[in-house]
Amino acid sequence: MAFYDRMMQIDRRIIYLCMTLAVAIPLIVPIGMPVQVSDEARGFYDHIEDLEAGDIVLFSFDYEGDVMAELNPMSIAALRHLFRQGVRVVSVTMYAGGTGIAQDILEETAAEYGKEYGIDYVFLGYNPDWSGTILRLGESFKATYPADQFGKSTREIPLMQDVETYDDIALLVSIAGSALSEYWAIWAGGRYGVTVVSGNTAIQAILIYPYYNAGQIPGFLGGLKGAAEYERLVDIPGLGIKGMDAQSVAHLLMLSFIVIGNVGYFLSRRHERKLKEE
Amino acid sequence: MKRQGPVVVAFIIGMLMLIQFFTPNPFFLRLYNLFLDWKQVVLGCTLILGTWSLIRYHTRRIGRRQQNWQYSYVTLIGLAFMVLAALIWKTEGGPYRWMFQNIQVPMQATMFSLLAFYVASASYRAFRARTFAATLLLIAGALVMLGRVPVGALIGGNIGGHEVTVSTIADWILNVPNLAAKRGIMIGVGLGMTATAIKIILGIETTYLGKSD
Amino acid sequence: MSADPGIWVAAILTLAIFSFLYRENPVFRFAEHLLVGVSAGYYLVQYFFSAVYRKLYVPVFDNHEYILIMGGVLGAMMFARLWRKYEWVSRYPIAFYVAAWAGYVIPSYVQVRILQQAESTMFNPMALPPAEAISNFIIFLGVVTTLSYFYFSAERKGPLKISSHVGVIFIMIGFGATFGYNVMGRISLLIGRFQFLLTDWLGIVQ
Repeated sequence: MAFYDRMMQIDRRIIYLCMTLAVAIPLIVPIGMPVQVSDEARGFYDHIEDLEAGDIVLFSFDYEGDVMAELNPMSIAALRHLFRQGVRVVSVTMYAGGTGIAQDILEETAAEYGKEYGIDYVFLGYNPDWSGTILRLGESFKATYPADQFGKSTREIPLMQDVETYDDIALLVSIAGSALSEYWAIWAGGRYGVTVVSGNTAIQAILIYPYYNAGQIPGFLGGLKGAAEYERLVDIPGLGIKGMDAQSVAHLLMLSFIVIGNVGYFLSRRHERKLKEE
Repeated sequence: MKRQGPVVVAFIIGMLMLIQFFTPNPFFLRLYNLFLDWKQVVLGCTLILGTWSLIRYHTRRIGRRQQNWQYSYVTLIGLAFMVLAALIWKTEGGPYRWMFQNIQVPMQATMFSLLAFYVASASYRAFRARTFAATLLLIAGALVMLGRVPVGALIGGNIGGHEVTVSTIADWILNVPNLAAKRGIMIGVGLGMTATAIKIILGIETTYLGKSD
Repeated sequence: MSADPGIWVAAILTLAIFSFLYRENPVFRFAEHLLVGVSAGYYLVQYFFSAVYRKLYVPVFDNHEYILIMGGVLGAMMFARLWRKYEWVSRYPIAFYVAAWAGYVIPSYVQVRILQQAESTMFNPMALPPAEAISNFIIFLGVVTTLSYFYFSAERKGPLKISSHVGVIFIMIGFGATFGYNVMGRISLLIGRFQFLLTDWLGIVQ
């Protein structure tokens, strides 16, 4: 077998092993590459930074365990920023599997800042039907969520006395592993005029650029890099920044494999053309 | 009755929801809120029905001794235990939450992380610059991949007073040509969805009702 | 190394799923079926609590909004699908759900996905700095040519042919960017699992 044919047939287990080392080694031995902040992340940060103490934010955990590696760092950084600003948080989730994740993150970050449930934050939980829930919140929060995630009537929760519709919400933050950020922008933003900022997985973030350009989502975070940018802005390093070295090395590895495959392909084609001419 | 009834229902409900967007009339607003509340219950019941389908599939697999039928016991026991744990120890703590945190979430995350290996292997094997379009795709992908990680900001320099790095090129790709393509596709999808919605309300589109009897 | 049994269970199950990379095996199959069962049980509890308790029981029996019982009736009609003879009954709540969605999709999508996006594509080149005007022109060109690529109601010749070829260029660049972000996303998920194994389980990384 010619060397260029071998270039195109590297065993997949070698690729898997190289990927494992490319991710693990930078985590164990960090390089410390600087993280540049994008305009999109700055827009997300500025909208939270402009909030005042006592403002109410609707925070939606729109993801489950499958994409939590990308989105947990964003959620944690955003909640820390909100609690540091003295902002009150009404939290929901559009995924049944997001309830446990949201609960854990809310409890941990609230404890860091001495926030009290029912006064400084509340977790309303999961409702089936994304679009129906988003639209219904525009008419009545308490009718949409008659009870919170723990079964307590929302009429008895102190924070909920100040929230009836989107008019009482200063900002809507959607951390989404799907098109939910778009749906918040379409229905909450489009019909009720709420300002929506979002944190998205990388796969979803590529689709947010038209909304960002049109001003429908004035700031967003894209993937683990977005989380790292935001952690830099709020000056609270977390898993986002820690993962960036591994991300860089893994990307370089991927590109190397693609280049090797293409070089082998073109050399093989040149050889075949030479044989045909002969 | 079996097919025409639902089509009539679709027309009435669809028209009411559409009209409501354009009128502040309290009657229509009340209907709008009612329909949204009913919708949520309908979907919740549909999701519960889906879980029942899963149970039925695995019980049949055990009954018919199909391939790997023994593993269906694992699924059914796991499901039953979660439901019992929620009923006995409630959902705020106890085994229900413990199993969510230490079994469901880690495994869900790991399942999806396998894709990193597969995308690496598949890209290496299949991503060839065979045509002009494929080459364009490859170059754009490579620039974005490098530009959106910290190493991209270190490749490049100052050209004519402007900072030109792989990161700035990637930013331009994302905010100009990529945006244009995504916006074009979005407008197209928006037009298609609007047309489909109109067809559903007018009864032209009835595939959601399933096969005819 | 962690002393928390929960972390150990999570780590062992993580490695069980990773074992699939070598080849399919009984350990992976066990873990996979356990995931399906535990997830289904978790979701069932959440669906019941949110749809039946919170959206039906609390409003009807605690808040006395009896008209919401109709939602329960429609939801119950969905279970008619379990009997082939009465499957047609479930078409009513399905028609209600789909039509209600279609009713509010039309104005929302037209407003946000079509009109506002088209509005953002328009620009006044005289009112912008040259670099920005060029970028906006490229965006305008890209949107129009991309839309022309997906127009199949006329034969591809003349201006439409040229326009759709230009559209392909923008679409390929867009797909390339999508591929780059896809790779980024997948690798991030892997980084997350390694962070768990190395930090929470083994304690090698702080």
